[in-house]
Amino acid sequence: MKHPWLKRLLSLHGLLFLAFVYAPIIIVVVYSFNSHPVNMMVWKDFTFDWYLSIFGNPTKLTEQTLYVESTDQLLSAVKNSLTVAVTTTTFATIVGTATALAIYRYHFKLKPFYQGLLYMPMVMPDIVLGIALLVFFINFGVKLGLMSIIIGHCTFLISYVFVVVSARLAGMDSTLEEASADLGANPWATFRRVTLPQILPGIVGGALLAFIISMDDLVITYFIAGVDSTTLPVFIYGMLRRGVKPEINAIATLMLLFSFAIAALGLYFRRRN
Amino acid sequence: MATKRDLRSLSTLLTPSTLFLGIFFLGPLAVMIIFSFLEPGVYGGVVWNFYHWNYGRILGWADGEWEDFDPVYIDIFLRSVRLALTNVGITLLVCYPAALWVSGLSARWRTFVVFIITLPFFVSLVVRLFCWVLILRPSGFLSTSLMGLGIISEPIDIIYTETAVLIGMAYILLPFMFLPLYASIEKLDHSLLEASADLGANPFQTFWRVILPCTLPGIAAGAVLVFIPSLGNFIVPDLLGGAKVMMIGNLIEQQFLSARNWPFGSALSVMIMLVMFMLIVFYLRRIGRSEIVR
Repeated sequence: MKHPWLKRLLSLHGLLFLAFVYAPIIIVVVYSFNSHPVNMMVWKDFTFDWYLSIFGNPTKLTEQTLYVESTDQLLSAVKNSLTVAVTTTTFATIVGTATALAIYRYHFKLKPFYQGLLYMPMVMPDIVLGIALLVFFINFGVKLGLMSIIIGHCTFLISYVFVVVSARLAGMDSTLEEASADLGANPWATFRRVTLPQILPGIVGGALLAFIISMDDLVITYFIAGVDSTTLPVFIYGMLRRGVKPEINAIATLMLLFSFAIAALGLYFRRRN
Repeated sequence: MATKRDLRSLSTLLTPSTLFLGIFFLGPLAVMIIFSFLEPGVYGGVVWNFYHWNYGRILGWADGEWEDFDPVYIDIFLRSVRLALTNVGITLLVCYPAALWVSGLSARWRTFVVFIITLPFFVSLVVRLFCWVLILRPSGFLSTSLMGLGIISEPIDIIYTETAVLIGMAYILLPFMFLPLYASIEKLDHSLLEASADLGANPFQTFWRVILPCTLPGIAAGAVLVFIPSLGNFIVPDLLGGAKVMMIGNLIEQQFLSARNWPFGSALSVMIMLVMFMLIVFYLRRIGRSEIVR
């Protein structure tokens, strides 16, 4: 590069960019250990009490035990989130993979229409999909609850799995499948022994993506969750609307850890292949 | 040649997604469009009469009476479009140099830095916005540290302003701009840059005449991917904008959860959907469909 100052300016911008991305997260993590009961942003002492408090241990730092009684609600929200995410991921992964296989392997007249249909849920703004599902469920008398959330999540997660698996299929060596067929394997054996092992990283990647999006979805779930079927993001959103409390810091930090763990798992699977 | 067995396995593989998306994706959209043409009931719910004034109301003509002209909804719609466009501009200005920087790194660092940049975006949206609530509140991190340093004497109130909404929105949508930009910058043919420099262009001329035109598809993809979720967003304006910065998403949420005017809320959603379709069609016509796949 002939212009070192230009390069330095770019590097400076890059570092500021990284700081902008990470600073808010680091601030929350650090201040989740702050024992100041009144102003969360004035550092006082190191404490674990907020973490104990969200699991129902009363803290000595503050008189208000507002959130201690909601520990049950928090845990049930976590349970709901996991139930929804696991069910949705399983269903969306199977259906999305089947669809990707069909689109990859066969040529038929309606194919462009199908691809369009599959991309649509991904570009549809969350609020539109959430409203549409709400109106649909109410109009047809479907009770809002875990089932409605699961159905709602599947409508767009099938597409995400489809895209990830399709990308993997596109990079697959198709001569192996032909060889397997030539050697007398039936289609099922070819699929199980040749195709599946090759696209497995794509399927795992798609499943992890679906899981993390389902765990995180706020807008669509917000509209179609029933009273007793709150998920974790909706629960935290509700807490935030009522006011900011130190306990939310601790919950946020735990959720951060969880998300990073899933992302690391995804990276591990990608690296291994 | 499609044999009978091919046809059977094709239909087996496609039936689940066809049924599911047909019923639970296209079905709800159809119901929503129908609702947007129904008369709102007095106590919530709908009356099954054709009623097109839900759309009239968005434009200001409630029930078609000129006397009732009220541009409040147009204002909200225009504000949403303005904020979404501003957000596209901000993310573009922030991400473009960053993407240039990353593409100039060595191969090993590049993969690592892209991973580092995308990692926080696996974190829950509500957690990421909570971070900004903590920073921007009058008793938040920014105010407290600036006062601690003696730069300001009174707490500054950034939260519940358009600035706060823009910061939050840019923060949560950064990767949707960064990744397409990075993808197109990385594909750039470096011999073109050398040719440009050899022919006597200075770095700015090279940027304007070579780099920018070549990465236009990435810019367009990023702009569409940021604009669509910005326009209908209601979480960010709700947490960081309060009642002062109302966007179309908040208006829709209100119609469903407090005002109980479902047909009007549906009509607003249909408007957002139309804007989205227009953008996508325009994008596909001009840039081609290959770029939209992430």
